[in-house]
Amino acid sequence: MMSFETSSGAQRRWVLKILAGSFLTAAVPICEAAADGLGTPDGPVEIKIMANEAFANNWQTVLVPEFNKVFPNVKVSIDGVPYPELLAKMMLDSTSPQPEYDVLVSDDPWVPQLAQIGALLDLKGPEVSPITDKDFDWADFNAAPLASGEWDGKQYAVPVRSNMLLMFYNRTLYKKAGIAEPTPELTWDQFFANAPKLVQDANGDGTPDSWAIDTYFVREPLTPTIWQSILNSNGGSLLDEAGAPAFANETGITSLDIHKRLLDFAPPGALGHGFSESLQAFRQGIVANMITWGSVYKPTAIDKQTTTLTADEVGIQVLPVGSVRAGTHRGIWNAGVSSKTEELDASWAFVQWLSSKKGEAVNASLGGSFPARKSTLANEPSAEWLKPVYQTLQNAYDVAAEGKMWRIRSPKSDAAQQILADEIARGLAGQATNAEVLQTASDKIAKVLK
Amino acid sequence: MAVTKVSDGAVPDGLGRARSGIGRKSADLVARWSFLMPSIVVLTVMLAYPIYYTIEISFASFDLSTFSAGEWVGWANYEEAIGDYRFWDSLKVTLVYLVIALPLQVTLGFGIAFLINAEWWGRSALRALFIIPMVVAPVVAGGMWRMILDPLWGVMNYWLGLVGIGPLDWFGDPTLAMAAVIMIDTWRWTPFIVLIATAALLALPKDVFEAAKIDGANWWSTLWSVALPLLVPIIAATFVIRWLGAVKMFDIVLAATYGGPGKATSVVNLFIYEEAFRSLRFAESAAMAVIVLALTMILTGFFLYGSRKLEELF
Repeated sequence: MMSFETSSGAQRRWVLKILAGSFLTAAVPICEAAADGLGTPDGPVEIKIMANEAFANNWQTVLVPEFNKVFPNVKVSIDGVPYPELLAKMMLDSTSPQPEYDVLVSDDPWVPQLAQIGALLDLKGPEVSPITDKDFDWADFNAAPLASGEWDGKQYAVPVRSNMLLMFYNRTLYKKAGIAEPTPELTWDQFFANAPKLVQDANGDGTPDSWAIDTYFVREPLTPTIWQSILNSNGGSLLDEAGAPAFANETGITSLDIHKRLLDFAPPGALGHGFSESLQAFRQGIVANMITWGSVYKPTAIDKQTTTLTADEVGIQVLPVGSVRAGTHRGIWNAGVSSKTEELDASWAFVQWLSSKKGEAVNASLGGSFPARKSTLANEPSAEWLKPVYQTLQNAYDVAAEGKMWRIRSPKSDAAQQILADEIARGLAGQATNAEVLQTASDKIAKVLK
Repeated sequence: MAVTKVSDGAVPDGLGRARSGIGRKSADLVARWSFLMPSIVVLTVMLAYPIYYTIEISFASFDLSTFSAGEWVGWANYEEAIGDYRFWDSLKVTLVYLVIALPLQVTLGFGIAFLINAEWWGRSALRALFIIPMVVAPVVAGGMWRMILDPLWGVMNYWLGLVGIGPLDWFGDPTLAMAAVIMIDTWRWTPFIVLIATAALLALPKDVFEAAKIDGANWWSTLWSVALPLLVPIIAATFVIRWLGAVKMFDIVLAATYGGPGKATSVVNLFIYEEAFRSLRFAESAAMAVIVLALTMILTGFFLYGSRKLEELF
């Protein structure tokens, strides 16, 4: 079997090639265009960035030094904030008369909320366009991730750390069950036909010790994304063209039923499982499939400190095909520039560098972020194991764009998602029928979005 | 009629005393207020202003662009809160938790205190150990217990399995999930009651117990007829203190069950927190907070009245 292990030397050479290129191509035009705004050796400029603490520290130690090789006179400090407090802190800072932060790194559904309060600059608008590098290729972004930074016809942010909801599978457990491993063409019907065989008793003690699937079932805002992916794959959508809820129907009910049926083949206690628990179960090799965010591929299949599995054992693909198409769900971290920044040149230089072809490649190889650009995904990745991952990611972007597989785009998106979290959790726990919970969610969301 | 002669510039004795009295009083008043003022300022800023701010935004639309109260909307936010079945459900969940957890913790706390009240060499060390659950951060306690109770990896099901019980789905079954929350909360807060109860038991007059002993009272009679009546005011006060802490609880739920399964452990403060900081519905959540504040004040008043009556009775 082919090994996905890559020598660190080859990876280093690859990164150096990219960095050398970035010195020559990316730096010169921007440096010449706005030398003052980008500081001088005697008078450096300083920008502050607010980001999720999950990756802020890594960016500060790994990416900022790379950025400073191109822009040595821009000092960048990245403050990490825990995810649950991040949006509220961004909004508080943005609405103060003198905000502390120049760049805001926000989650997928937050751009409309930040844009509505005037926190972000239009990156294609008259203030930013003149200082945009002519080589900055907007058309090279995949449509789905780029759309996450857009609202009301304006581009408020660009993707800097992309993610998609994907299905991981354990080849060893499939082989043990005597089932052919899944392909992107696998349907939900085929999945459920295989599922009973994937609940296995390997040690023969009469009780199962491995299960078919684990994913989000717990009461939290990301759990409805599983149901939403199934809904979209069945041709349904959260809202209709007029922006009214359109999921309290047969498609919605069938989709929630599929989500609920997964519990029959999940480990004991799965109703309380979310991101961490399902990841833990999959890494320990006790579940054959896991639906979660693609970015965990490395700690799930590569990093020896965090997993018992290897890249040869872990497959990755989009979610099974519904009545119309395969499923996935978008989760993109975007960087936008504060509308009140006093360091526009430096702030945009950082965001531009990070989302440029070169910066994105550096971010992917050193920061472990998934790219959003078609060219980055089509190019030779920095490691062999990234090849199938990038292929799946490109497929997921296409599927997401086709089925509009993302959360509600509205300044009230989080309120709607919380309502879905409450109601989907009630449905999964059997505290109300699927029809009841979807109707309640529909009525409440209609009221919230009004 | 005697006339007091007053020379120019001189102050008569009585008037002088009066003036110096007024001076002393003024100085005393200034001194008192100067001591009080820092506390008044701190309390106003830290306590009164946030309450005023909460009430203010509960009657307004919340302007996210200024992060302050916007247009006056009257009772609309209260109507929204009262019309939301999730708010009522979370109040019911809170009520179930309080009705079971509070009496359990008070009974266990005083019971344990009575049992360890005897003079023995390890008493101080044991009392010090009791503090540990109280100082563990609630989120850590919730996470730790989540691992202990996990049906796949937790040790609790293993231990129960040894005596033929289970496996139990602690976070998948609504009743067990509520039991888990009460268990974690009881683990954290019973030691607090044990400490209060131990101090109260040590402060009880010894001669009464000696008299009971001379009269031939056994252990149970001493507990029921002597110790308990003497402890009633302390028990009532402890109940009120614990009630004020328990009614605010949501961090353990957030860390252990996320309010699930379904909405089985979604206590009212968790719901308010989620509405405010996840859904950014600050005005509606402020209205809910004011309703909960009013309910808490009424019930606290009722409990305080009850505890005063009990004190008079015993």
